[in-house]
Amino acid sequence: MMRVWMVVAVLAFACDPPDRGPRWRAAGNASPQPGGTLHLATKDTVKTLDPSIAYDEHSFLPVHAMFDTLVDYAPGSTELVPRLAERWEASSDGRTLRFWLRPGLVYADGTPIVAHDIITSLERALTTADSPFGPMLVELEGAQAVLDGKAAHLAGALAPSERELVLHLVRPNAAFLHVLAMPFTTPQRAEHVRAAGEDLRRRPLASGPYQLAAWDEGQALVLVRNPHHADPARGRIERIELREQLSRETQFLMFERGELDAVERPSHPDLLWVTSQPAWAPYVKTQPGLNVYGARMNVRVRPFDDRRVRQALNYGLDKDHTVKLLAGTAVPAHGMLPPGVAGRDDALAAYPYDPDKARALLAEAGYPRGLDLDFVTIADEEAEKLAAAMHGDFAAIGVRLHVSVVSFSTWVSVVGKPDGPPLSFASWIADAPDPASFYDLRFHSRAISGDSSTNDSFYANPALDGVLDAARGEPDPAARAALYRRAERILYDDAPWIWNYHQAMVDVIQPYVRDYAPHPVWGRDYTGAWLDLDAHGERVSW
Amino acid sequence: MAADRAAVVGLALFAALVAIAVVGPLLTADPLARDLDHGLTARGAPLGPSAGALLGTDPLGRDVWARLVAGAGTSLSIAAGATTLALVLGLAVGVVAGYRGGWVDGVLMRTVDLTLAFPALLLAILVAAVLRETSLATSRAPVVLVLALVSWGLIARMIRAKAMSVARSPHVLAARALGASPRRIVMRHVLPQLVGVITIAAVATFAQVLLNESALSFLGLGPPPPAPTWGRMLYEGRAYYRSAPHLVIAPGLAIVVAVAAVHLIAQGLRSSVEEPR
Repeated sequence: MMRVWMVVAVLAFACDPPDRGPRWRAAGNASPQPGGTLHLATKDTVKTLDPSIAYDEHSFLPVHAMFDTLVDYAPGSTELVPRLAERWEASSDGRTLRFWLRPGLVYADGTPIVAHDIITSLERALTTADSPFGPMLVELEGAQAVLDGKAAHLAGALAPSERELVLHLVRPNAAFLHVLAMPFTTPQRAEHVRAAGEDLRRRPLASGPYQLAAWDEGQALVLVRNPHHADPARGRIERIELREQLSRETQFLMFERGELDAVERPSHPDLLWVTSQPAWAPYVKTQPGLNVYGARMNVRVRPFDDRRVRQALNYGLDKDHTVKLLAGTAVPAHGMLPPGVAGRDDALAAYPYDPDKARALLAEAGYPRGLDLDFVTIADEEAEKLAAAMHGDFAAIGVRLHVSVVSFSTWVSVVGKPDGPPLSFASWIADAPDPASFYDLRFHSRAISGDSSTNDSFYANPALDGVLDAARGEPDPAARAALYRRAERILYDDAPWIWNYHQAMVDVIQPYVRDYAPHPVWGRDYTGAWLDLDAHGERVSW
Repeated sequence: MAADRAAVVGLALFAALVAIAVVGPLLTADPLARDLDHGLTARGAPLGPSAGALLGTDPLGRDVWARLVAGAGTSLSIAAGATTLALVLGLAVGVVAGYRGGWVDGVLMRTVDLTLAFPALLLAILVAAVLRETSLATSRAPVVLVLALVSWGLIARMIRAKAMSVARSPHVLAARALGASPRRIVMRHVLPQLVGVITIAAVATFAQVLLNESALSFLGLGPPPPAPTWGRMLYEGRAYYRSAPHLVIAPGLAIVVAVAAVHLIAQGLRSSVEEPR
């Protein structure tokens, strides 16, 4: 009998878990406090700390914390603000940018930061074989020559003094400032680069609020405050410990036990659970990322050469299904630009789910009995789930979708070919929160090439080309945004994509992590956050 | 007496399971039908038990009760197939080894030792991986074969032991002295003596196979999706243990009940064979 009662007790406990709200709370300090250690984790490894090479999200966290750039984004926004530069000026023709560095800037080792160190970085990006950033600089005069190996130095970049940098552009380009916010443009002292040699990837010379304290590769990386950093509003947390290679499920369990102070992108089951707990709600932080997902169509191939077919497919996709399958992390898309990017027309809504209208458009286009379409997607749990949902949605409008799954690398190699699959999964992750970063490579007719078009819809529209070209050179932000809203409208009507959703970043933080939200550009950016601990630096229990 | 009662309970449970597996699919919803519109909350969470879905829905909005019922059919038919196959193989090897003895017995029993010494799950994973590349991969055949392969050894050993003692019993010696052929002796005099041990072996194997099938499905080596099996349902639901506990409790309980039912039957049979009244 005893045993029976023990079983009952265990079952009762299992069925009625104790309250699972946060175990700690904010101490309640009125103003930001310095100090403390922040514990984070990534599911992958940090690949490199060389700013000229680091390009993946896991490396970006430490890289952004260690390296400051001329300009940066304001907290929680895509607005450009001065960082190392105290101010800048564009010439009247928009082709020359002139920057003045703040006085007294130094690296973590106390040596001064000079304007020429930025030219060193630009040249490294152009000449380092593993750097993915070189092509982003081709708008700079002389950059193409360096990239092609025809010149050793960048003709369009000059440092008239230690605090002055002048950049000459090939043509006016309002989006170029965004390039100068990317960590690869951080000043790098040439002597340090030379001395570190092959070891540079693990011997960063920090210019930002943090510097490297230790890195046991594949295990953990530790950052500590850079004592030479001048801005008191950044780098308040004393120490950041980043554990590597922990699965999202493990991270979430550690987070609940208090071994981690924040987790990013919990798995769907964990996310559904945490968002269903009112006590956790204030600590779930969401921000749409610079991305868009959907399906692209080759508009030169039947039946996608008919705009009515393309629109019909947009009307036939139920975005509610997407939102559900992605556990609420998806924002329905009506075009390329996610919320928060200038030039997005927030008054425009995603194509509504309207199967009647879709069927009518298909009938008008000559497919009253529907049609068969092949759809190529990538081997990925989410992509496959969404393809199955699309299969179901399209069945309701008479479109019989035949889904095939290929590896990511196969998909990359076939979609840009004119004779590749006419309908396939599509995604775009932009480098900068600027419309040019979303449109020029995807829909400008210049981006159509023989074998690997980044314009893989093979969409060529002189009207759109004209708007994009005008917008790129337009210095006035308001006028530029208006131009991009026109571009968005053209693409919305022409529908070369089936737009589906923008994926949001979701972080869950402990209540004592203050002033933090995922940054629209940087994602996990803790440079402005602080820990609300008691007088002894300890966490306060509920 | 207690064993008899247990066997009755076991039989009743098992009969109920078979009935559910046979009749259930006619009465439940389509176990493969996804329903993103009504089968999930607005945020996409599986629904808990309700009048519409007795055991709630899974992350794709499918009816868990319908899947559980369909899984009963899958699991029971796979277990039956694998048990039959294992029984045929084990019986043949066991009888030959036990009756003939000598070097034949030595060779056969060492083979059995080998298959028993090899970790069953590892062997199953190996065979499943090999068959995965063949045209059989999309059927249930690999699973049945794998489960039979890891189960026949014990049956062979049990039957061999019994066959050996039967072979030395007076009436078999008498038949042999009268000049009966080995074939006739085995068919007429040995096999009938083995019915008890065969039954116990079959039932015990059935229970073990049920468990192994769940383990294989949990590891993704069971019948290919979207076929619902209890092991796969457990696997797919495991991450939802907090937000939708019904996804693990339902298939978990089903496995426990099925295996317990068969074990109860086996226990009853064993006591009735071993303690003749």
